[in-house]
Amino acid sequence: MSTTSLSKAEKSYIAAGLTQSTPHRADGRNLTDYRSVALEAGVAPLANGSVRLSIGRNINDNGGGTEVLAATKLEVESISIGESSEGREGGRFIVNVSCSPAAYPHLTQNALDDLQHDLTTILHTTLTHPSLHPQNLTILPHKKSWLLHLDLLILSDAGNTLDALFLAARAALWDTKVPRTRSVEYKAPRGSNKANAGANTTVEGGDIDVDSTAPSGFDTRTQISRATDFELPDYWDEGEALDGRDRWPVCVTLNLAPPVHFLDATPQEESAIPLRLLLIFSFTSTSKGEATLQAMRSLGAGELSLVQIKDLIQTGEKYAHSLYTALNAKLKDEDIRRTQKARERFIAARR
Amino acid sequence: MISFSSFPATREYAEFSGPHHPYDPSDDVEMEIDEDYLDTNGSKLTYPGESLTSSQAYMRGHGTYVDNEEVIASVAGTIERVNKLVTVRAIRSRYNPEVGDLVVGRITEVQPRRWKVDANSRQDAVLMLSSVNLPGGVQRRKLESDELQMRNFFEEGDLLVAEVQAFFADGAMSLHTRSLRYGKLRNGQLVTVPPILVRRLKSHFIALPCGVDLILGLNGYIWVSKHVKEAEQEGEEGFDAEGVYSNINDNIDEITRTAISRVTNIVRILASHFIPLTDTLLIEAYDWTVDQEGGAKDLLSEDLSDALVTSLAFRV
Amino acid sequence: MGSRVEILNDGGYRSDGRRQFELRDITINLAQQGQADGSAVITHGLTQVLVSVFGPREAKMRSQTIHDRANINVEVNVAAFSTGERRKRSRGDKRILEIGSTIKSTFEPVVQTTLYPRSQIDVYITVLQQDGGLLQACINGTTLALTNAGIPMADFVCAVTGGVHSTSALLDLTTLEENDVPHVTVAMMPKTGKVALVTMETRLHVERFEEIFRLAGEAGKVLHKEMKKAVMGRTSTLVNAMGSRGSGVDRDGDEQMNEL
Repeated sequence: MSTTSLSKAEKSYIAAGLTQSTPHRADGRNLTDYRSVALEAGVAPLANGSVRLSIGRNINDNGGGTEVLAATKLEVESISIGESSEGREGGRFIVNVSCSPAAYPHLTQNALDDLQHDLTTILHTTLTHPSLHPQNLTILPHKKSWLLHLDLLILSDAGNTLDALFLAARAALWDTKVPRTRSVEYKAPRGSNKANAGANTTVEGGDIDVDSTAPSGFDTRTQISRATDFELPDYWDEGEALDGRDRWPVCVTLNLAPPVHFLDATPQEESAIPLRLLLIFSFTSTSKGEATLQAMRSLGAGELSLVQIKDLIQTGEKYAHSLYTALNAKLKDEDIRRTQKARERFIAARR
Repeated sequence: MISFSSFPATREYAEFSGPHHPYDPSDDVEMEIDEDYLDTNGSKLTYPGESLTSSQAYMRGHGTYVDNEEVIASVAGTIERVNKLVTVRAIRSRYNPEVGDLVVGRITEVQPRRWKVDANSRQDAVLMLSSVNLPGGVQRRKLESDELQMRNFFEEGDLLVAEVQAFFADGAMSLHTRSLRYGKLRNGQLVTVPPILVRRLKSHFIALPCGVDLILGLNGYIWVSKHVKEAEQEGEEGFDAEGVYSNINDNIDEITRTAISRVTNIVRILASHFIPLTDTLLIEAYDWTVDQEGGAKDLLSEDLSDALVTSLAFRV
Repeated sequence: MGSRVEILNDGGYRSDGRRQFELRDITINLAQQGQADGSAVITHGLTQVLVSVFGPREAKMRSQTIHDRANINVEVNVAAFSTGERRKRSRGDKRILEIGSTIKSTFEPVVQTTLYPRSQIDVYITVLQQDGGLLQACINGTTLALTNAGIPMADFVCAVTGGVHSTSALLDLTTLEENDVPHVTVAMMPKTGKVALVTMETRLHVERFEEIFRLAGEAGKVLHKEMKKAVMGRTSTLVNAMGSRGSGVDRDGDEQMNEL
């Protein structure tokens, strides 16, 4: 995203190539072609979900390309009405982007911090919107919930970082498993000094034991869930998938060189064509064309008319849909591959 | 439009050690030049800290140092012995300039009476105002107004081709563009490759038959552009500033643009396979890709690039 | 502090199944990362570190240049997901700055900086996963990345951690062991056996120190073997790739070296 230094002649060469009758790009790609995208899930075993994604990486010697690592981590938080705790009913979600200085060797520390801040803001405000909030982040209602952290790290930048960040975010969230919890209530049995642990029905969304008498509205004691603590029934189980994995959005960056636009820009193209429109769409997997525009941002110097924006949003939705479908297919493949790998390892270990 | 793939499996240079390394005095290996590490051409490879020979018999060159009457390698690379001189050439490093080299550079700063040029070396190169051709005649005197209008000639971001004239005391290069073939670059695009892959050739200006010109900078910056006719290069009596320092490109038609993209992709493929660039090689590669009848972007796929490299290995 | 897991059991096995002096599995990947001049990814067991080297190149800030040699700048970036518990460390975190400056002072006498006056060598370290031996992994990774970038050094620098559990010495500690046992990190240069760095932050009895120090030095030589193998493997692959298309005249032709 930082501008590569380019001469005026180079910039006009790129711009002229795009605006001639048959548009032409520096490496011969079509306007809507992405470079090769590589994705691998489960790269950080200590995290609850992780993914490594690269766009345009050189297949042979691995150099170049935009490379992003994303990982999610779940922490337990206490909720209480007072100001001291930060936990909130239904769980919290925080997104953070950091840039490795190796990705931006020409930027100073301050510029790097600014860039990190910008990217974090874009990702955080879009992904933590209430419409996307996962429903299974509660452990014990009113008492304990999960704090979901999504950390993204840019290892190298060769253009189109925002698309890469959103793709990685979606993939990492898809890969995230929430540990199953079981709420536990401690009851002192009558006439005995020992405390017994009695398990309620397995709670995964905070169901309250409903076979007690209907609580009075004025008596707050009985409305508080009897569950006071929770345990992990199976330490080694990864857990269930994070809710709402279909809803996580994809981002399409449209680089605008009127009358055309193109996708997946290289750093040279980004420097020559500064005007960009970011469109972030969320789809529900069932319906084919039903998309929600989660966020939109225009970047760079230039003007856009309302009519242009409307058209671009329509076209952008189609691009985003192809991206979404392709990514889903890949994620499902990854799931299969990893289950298979785990199975093979298990069999090998048993021999 | 978009296709997802997986990361390649463990790369060649990934080493897996065995499950145990028991501390064992007999494991201490003698420091010898291992026979395994002779490359196909027969020259030996070495690594930093390896003892090469006695310093009584040989003089040390680049990539080595002397300690305790021994010549010891300081980089990883190939050992070269010329008469009594031992040097080690690093397999990958920044550009090491020499007088007379042709380089392609980018202006990073404009300073009083000089420009700073990024040439992929350990320090930015310097281009003095007195080392460039000024409009109005090759022999014209430098005026004060020239000093104030340096950005009319070169400004930040401009690309130029120049020759290394000399070195400053701290090792920075001093460049000059005092030839009609040198100067500002336009009508094309830049590709970067590791500097080692650019061999010293008779001429670094290559004209491919498809109407594409290449300038192979020894610093690894390669300029691919539309062909400039010989006649235009000569220039007339009065040196035309409009022409030489202009930022305006010519009209470039689509065939030429496609050819430029093809050549750029070829250069990238060769560089990623670590194959040195020469004019014959580039012409062969271009002919091969044209025979394939694919578009320029097809070269971005792994299969086609591997096929290209294999075919080059078999020719000649 | 007691631990529920035994550091060293009666059979002589550690918590991860290794023997006393056994080092963890090492993987080294020297393929290029991004635009770096030299890079390396090194793994010691579950600790994984990526090091990218840029340079020698023009210094970003003129104030940092030294007139007669190159300035080495080390920056460490610890990923928030690198540990079991997520923890975001800011760049100004004292611990991280300390690791960075330790590495810088380790390599300053080893890298031949006098060849590059007024230049800068940037070493960017990204910690992807941590399970003990962080400084060790960073130093080994830096050695490999510098070699990969063609920056002249007097020798490799190989680092390893060593600790003592009651009277038994242990090598290459995991987090579990580091939390429980006094330990020291030793970085040595295998050719001469000289020590480039010794650092310890726990309390260790003087009589135990000598043994651990010596053992760690020996273990460094074992590490050197692996690192050398990786470096030579890569060099040989690249040289073969270059040679396969006719190096011919030019290679010898331009070797009339101008002595500096």
